Amino acid sequence: MIFSLNKIKYLKIVKWVVKMKISTKGRYALEAILDLAVNSPNEYESVRNVAERRNISENYLEQIFSGLRKKGIVESIRGKQGGYRLARHAEDITAGEVIRALEGSLAPVACVSGGECKQKCDRYDLCVTNILWQKMMNEINTAVDSVTIKDLVEYCTKLETQNDIEYYI
Amino acid sequence: MGDVDKMKLSTKGRYGLRALIDLAVHSKGEQVSLISIAQRQEISESYLESVFSLLKKAGLVTSVKGARGGYILVNRPAEIKIGTVLRALEGDLNIVDMDSGVKEDAICHSIKHNVWDKVNKKINDLVDAVTLEDMINEYYKINGSDAIMYYI
Repeated sequence: MIFSLNKIKYLKIVKWVVKMKISTKGRYALEAILDLAVNSPNEYESVRNVAERRNISENYLEQIFSGLRKKGIVESIRGKQGGYRLARHAEDITAGEVIRALEGSLAPVACVSGGECKQKCDRYDLCVTNILWQKMMNEINTAVDSVTIKDLVEYCTKLETQNDIEYYI
Repeated sequence: MGDVDKMKLSTKGRYGLRALIDLAVHSKGEQVSLISIAQRQEISESYLESVFSLLKKAGLVTSVKGARGGYILVNRPAEIKIGTVLRALEGDLNIVDMDSGVKEDAICHSIKHNVWDKVNKKINDLVDAVTLEDMINEYYKINGSDAIMYYI
């Protein structure tokens, strides 16, 4: 029976699908990029230094940087003075790009991708909820794509200036 | 990492919303049995039990006991926000857990303020602007108003 086959497939999916949350990979990727942009805007920076400042394991951070390099967001050189730096200007990198480089598509449900149904499932014609999931995905992408790394750096600078002023007062 | 870490709504949120729309479409002011929803939506009855107990706890549905028992909406569909339904099923709809491992420095503050808070607000605003009645209307638009006859 096709019906029972579908059920088996559903059970497998149920085990994988968890809460709608960005994983630590996506979050750390954004932290690491911003750390580079703030602390080493032009020079190559070692993974060790970023890992220490961000309190992330070097191995894990290396994985993250390697994912970011594949998407052309950072570039690297090997060797003693080696490390990573931004491959583009901070204003040309969006938060959305960085998150998606590690998280893949930000679809809230598995059957929606690129703002559209990924495949026409057997319930496609009856699916009312997919319109909502598509809208949700568009909202998420629009929000993360409207913020650049430069915006994030400027906000950091503003925060630090405020803190300095408070300190002196 | 694989699929486990991907950002996805749980099946509770997805199936629960589908089941509630099904209930609203087929209710006509009376209770609807879980087994009929289970058959139409191809979701197991025991799974629906756990979904509806969450919806009941949130005050969205109430149960009618007996041989012709089932569930019925507490309020009119126009008064039920989809956000309320999804939060009842999912806990919260925030894309990042702000309690876990967020450092107290300028970098994390900047990301939280400019990215995560914005995304969380967009998601919640979106689902709070849509009511169950909107979803029912959408259902009729897709299926035609006589679709219900076919499924009964």
